[in-house]
This record gives sequence, structure tokens and C-alpha cells, in this order.
Amino acid sequence: MKIGIPRSLLFFYYYPFWEELFKELGIKVVVSDQNNERIMNKGVKYSISEICVPMKVYVGQVLDLVEQGVDLVYVPRIVSIQKDVTICPKFLGLPDMIKYSLEGMENRVLTHKIEQESDDISNWKDYQIFLEIFDISKKELKRALKKASEKWQEYRAMHRKGFTSDQLLEDVKRTPDTGDLTIGVLGYVYNVYDKFVNMDLLGKLREMNVNIVTFEMIDDEVIQREVDQFAPRKKMFWEFSNKLLGAGYHFLKSDEIDGVIHVTAFGCGPDSILGPFLDIDSDKYDTPFMTLRIDEQTGESHLLTRVEAFVDLLRLQKTKEARKCEK
Amino acid sequence: MNDLYIGVDIGSVSINIVGLDDSKDMQFKLYKRNPGSPVEVVKEGLASLNKKLKDRFKIAGVGVTGSGRQLIGYILGADIVKNEITAHATATIEQVPDVRTIFEIGGQDSKLIVINNEIVTDFAMNTVCAAGTGSFLDHQAERLGVEIEEFGDLALQATKDVRIAGRCTVFAESDMISKQQYGFTKPEIINGLCEALVRNYFNNLVRGKELHPRFVFQGGVAANAGIKAAIEKEINDEVIIPDNHDVMGAIGIALLAQEEMREKDEPSSFKGFSITHDNFETSSFICEDCANECEVIRIQANGKTIAMTGDRCGKWASDPRDIDVKDETSA
Repeated sequence: MKIGIPRSLLFFYYYPFWEELFKELGIKVVVSDQNNERIMNKGVKYSISEICVPMKVYVGQVLDLVEQGVDLVYVPRIVSIQKDVTICPKFLGLPDMIKYSLEGMENRVLTHKIEQESDDISNWKDYQIFLEIFDISKKELKRALKKASEKWQEYRAMHRKGFTSDQLLEDVKRTPDTGDLTIGVLGYVYNVYDKFVNMDLLGKLREMNVNIVTFEMIDDEVIQREVDQFAPRKKMFWEFSNKLLGAGYHFLKSDEIDGVIHVTAFGCGPDSILGPFLDIDSDKYDTPFMTLRIDEQTGESHLLTRVEAFVDLLRLQKTKEARKCEK
Repeated sequence: MNDLYIGVDIGSVSINIVGLDDSKDMQFKLYKRNPGSPVEVVKEGLASLNKKLKDRFKIAGVGVTGSGRQLIGYILGADIVKNEITAHATATIEQVPDVRTIFEIGGQDSKLIVINNEIVTDFAMNTVCAAGTGSFLDHQAERLGVEIEEFGDLALQATKDVRIAGRCTVFAESDMISKQQYGFTKPEIINGLCEALVRNYFNNLVRGKELHPRFVFQGGVAANAGIKAAIEKEINDEVIIPDNHDVMGAIGIALLAQEEMREKDEPSSFKGFSITHDNFETSSFICEDCANECEVIRIQANGKTIAMTGDRCGKWASDPRDIDVKDETSA
């Protein structure tokens, strides 16, 4: 049996877990191609027009897997990875969207609910459906989940050493950071690592000799502390928006980060609240903040102009501060 | 022979060329509406610059900015190719050193640039909406049958306020028609439009940011007295319109070219005025080497490929070459 995993959405956060899990169960995994024009066009064609671009990409990726002849596409219903905090509602409805809006998909989706109390999604109770589908014992399932969890923890540990997910998942060179500037790139993994949609923002920054810091590199405790400080009595957002909020405030306050770029998909609801909070408070911490909105367009010049101007601004400020110190 | 630094700004609506001498004085200025063939306009512009200045100046540096900067940068052999935000700010700071806020309204985009101690600290550009830009005015002027050059001064003749919905050009147009039908005068409606545009600019770009004087207003739309008045009303302060407000991007990139050449200590990479006689042709083809199917733009000078762009992977851009491609489309 061949299981397809779309290279989109939380792929960039959970792929090492899923890869190991299926490998341990002896199931062949096929990952869809890197997002490209053809996949994107398909996604746009088969989605409703007003949905956000990451969801359109996901649809395209699913269709790519079907073309590659997989038996089932793995579309877990990720509800929650922290008690009382859920994920964006589009994720909750994702399996239904794929099953019933794409022709012939009704019986080609492997789905089950993931509703856990931590990021480590290895509690076996959510995976009971695997027992029957793959004809395995409870013991085998638990063992595979344990292995997957270990693999994923290794992946997360590499993040904390300063590697971005594209460096860990793809053949992006893992060169040590030598840039004279450090920018916090804030955004959901599927916006930050979809090179096609964001026109290789990370590559462009690296070419400009900029070091990149993302939320995955920040310790959970630091993120949680910032979120609690921001809203002591109330849980603010959906899961990954909380992570970005915490990481964002940490970036703004940190002396090691020269500026913050918020990458957001046009029409994202949570980001429309998250962004302005950080934007307004960025003045307080004297850290430049820029919003980069991505959508279906492929013209690069608007993005390049903004990124280049932002990097210019940070460099000039830095040389000026350095001059001030010399005096 | 004195040194001359050329600045070229390839905007969506206009193409501007300036020549600055060593002491930053302007020796040449050209503001020309972009009819869609920037290469031709630049060639003609440079030819007239050469004619005027060739006896006294030699070219010491060339800079290109604006949304079409990459292509023209290749053709000219520019020493520096930079975004228009940095270029605009550089020019303004040179002229008005204590500037804190720049309002820039161009043909297809508008910008807000915030400056502190001669350094850009924040900027915003319009995103998905054209309602706060020059093309909005262009379109409405045409509808009202008024020359765009007279548009602003007419607004100042208004004696009553008329509120025109400005959130979207489509709504503005229908609102304008109904206000016309109620019998409001042209100046009143134009004034309402100017205020709508400024309201839009503030809603989209300023978004409640605290702005500090001195205020500078530049870009093609700064020629419009009605817009200037509407901005002053909005901020309740005076705005300065710099000399040569319409070519600030070109001035800025010329200044940056000068700075670059001073640091580089190398001769300019400018390809020389012979390019004004060259025959440039742009064509494109779809590269089918991967699923991205990029449209690769190719620029040929006298039949020889000199630059390629538009490929996501960069394999054409980094090594432009003559190739035989079928299904080639001439642009």
C-alpha cells in the first residue's frame, strides 16, 4: 500500500513524525512534489476562490498525489495539540473538504482525529483506526508511535540549534550563519517554507547575507511566557497563532534580532489580529516590523522591493548605531 | 571633464532620467510618461542627455530604480540597481534633512516613508488597492473631461464640501455620477475626489501611525494642488513639495550611484552611449525543464542575447545565452 502525504500545511512541522510512523508500520510513503506552477494551478482550479492560498496549495498537492497513483492520501483532522486550544477551523474541516469537494476522493483519504495535549502527537488513542486498516497489533502501533515521537523530537532539537525546517527537510545547504543581520521571519510553516508562493523569501534573505530565525527555534517555555504575559487571563488564539504571538514578542524584545518580517497569506483571519498587535508594539521595542502579504500572484517585483528596502533600512540603522558606539 | 551620475527611474506611469554633477547639482532632467516601451524612452532620453552634456561631462556612475529596474539595469550596465523606497528617501533627505514623514503618491503605487535622524525607520506601500494612487485620479479626470494637469487647481475653487465614497474606485465612480446628477459643480466633485483619495491613503498606509513633521509630499501626484490641500487638511500641518518632486526616485538613485562609486574605486560599468543606437528586442519563451514552466524573458541587443530574467531557478539569468527556442513569442 502506498500512502501519499501532501507537501503542504503542517507537513513542514510534522513530516519527520509521519515518515517514521509509516516506515515503522512497513507502509510506503510518497510525498507530493515541491509546490510549483502546475500544482498551484490545479489547486486554484479545484478550490473555492475565497479560501486562503495555503488551502488551495493543499488541494493541488492532494491532486498531485492522486496522479502519482497513491492508494490513500493521509489527511489527519488536527483538532488540538494543547488542552483547550484548537487549530484554525479550516484544518478541522480539511478531511471533509478533500473527500467531498474533489471527485473520486471519498474513499481515498486516510483520516483520523488528532486531539492531544502536547505538540508530540504520539498518544496511541487517536490512531486506533490504524489497527484495522493496516492490520497491526496494539503493540506494533505503540512501538511505531514511540519511534515516530523520537524522530520528531530529534527534528525539534535541530530547530533549537538554529536550523530552519527547509534546511532540515530539503537539500538546502546547512551553512553556519555568517550574515551581519538577523531577521525574525514570523509566519505559519506553510507560508514560510512554500518557496513557490513566497517567491523563495528565505533564499532571497540568505542571498542578502541575512541570518534567519523562525518560531520553531524558540523554546516552548519562552513562547508560553510571552503568550501568558500578553493575555494573562484569556487564551488568545488558535494554536499556531499563539506560537507566532509568543515568538513574535520574543523577537521584538530580543537584542539579537534586528527586524521582524511577518509573512501572512491574504485573507488570513487570525493574522489580521495578530499582525497589528505586533506591528503597533514594535515601536515600543524599537524593532522594525514589516508585513509581507502573499497570495496567488507570481510577479516578484513587489516582494523584492519590500524585502530589499527593509534590509536596507536595517543595515543603515545598524551602521549608524555602530558609528554612535565608536564615538 | 567633470563627473556625471545618471539616475534612471522606471515607474509604471513615468520614466525619469536625471544627471547630477559632482556637487549634486542637476544638469539634466527628463520626466516622460511611460507609453509601455521603457527601452525606447530610455534610449531617447540618454541620447538627448549625451547631446546636451557630452562636451563637459563624462559618465562616472549609473543607477536604476523603479519597478522596471532589473531589465533597464542590464541594458545600461548599471553600477547600482536599487528599490524605489531607498531611492526616494535618499533624495528627500538630501533636500530636506530634517524630514520625518514622506508621502509619496505615484501612478500605480503609493508609499509612506517614516524617517528619523536621516534614516528610514518604517515604510508602508499600498497592497491590493489602487484607490489611493494616481491612476485613480487619471481615470476620474478622463471621466469628467478635465485635463489631469488642471485637475488640482479646479479642486481649490470648490466652495462646498461634497463627500465622495473613496474606498473603491468603483464606488467612487457611481457616487460621483449621482452627485453630478444632484447638481454639484465640477470643482466640488473634484475636491471631493481629492479628499477621498487622501482618506484612502491614510486608511491604507498610515493606519493610525503617529506622524511627525516635517512632512514632504512627492511623486507625480504632488503636482496636484487639490491633493496637497487635502493632505494638509488631514494632518493639520504644512507639507513641503520638494523641487523636482516628480523625479525624486531618479535623483535618489543618482546620489546612491555617486556614493557607490566613491566606495568602489572602480570605473563605472556603464555600457556607453552606443546603446542608444543599438536595437533591443524583448522576447519570451516557456522553459519546460521543470513543472514551474517559467516565462523566461530574453533581451537581445542587435540579435545577440544580453540578458535573461523571469526564471525562478536562476539558471537562465545567471548565464544568458543565444538559444533556438520554438514557440517563441515576441513581446
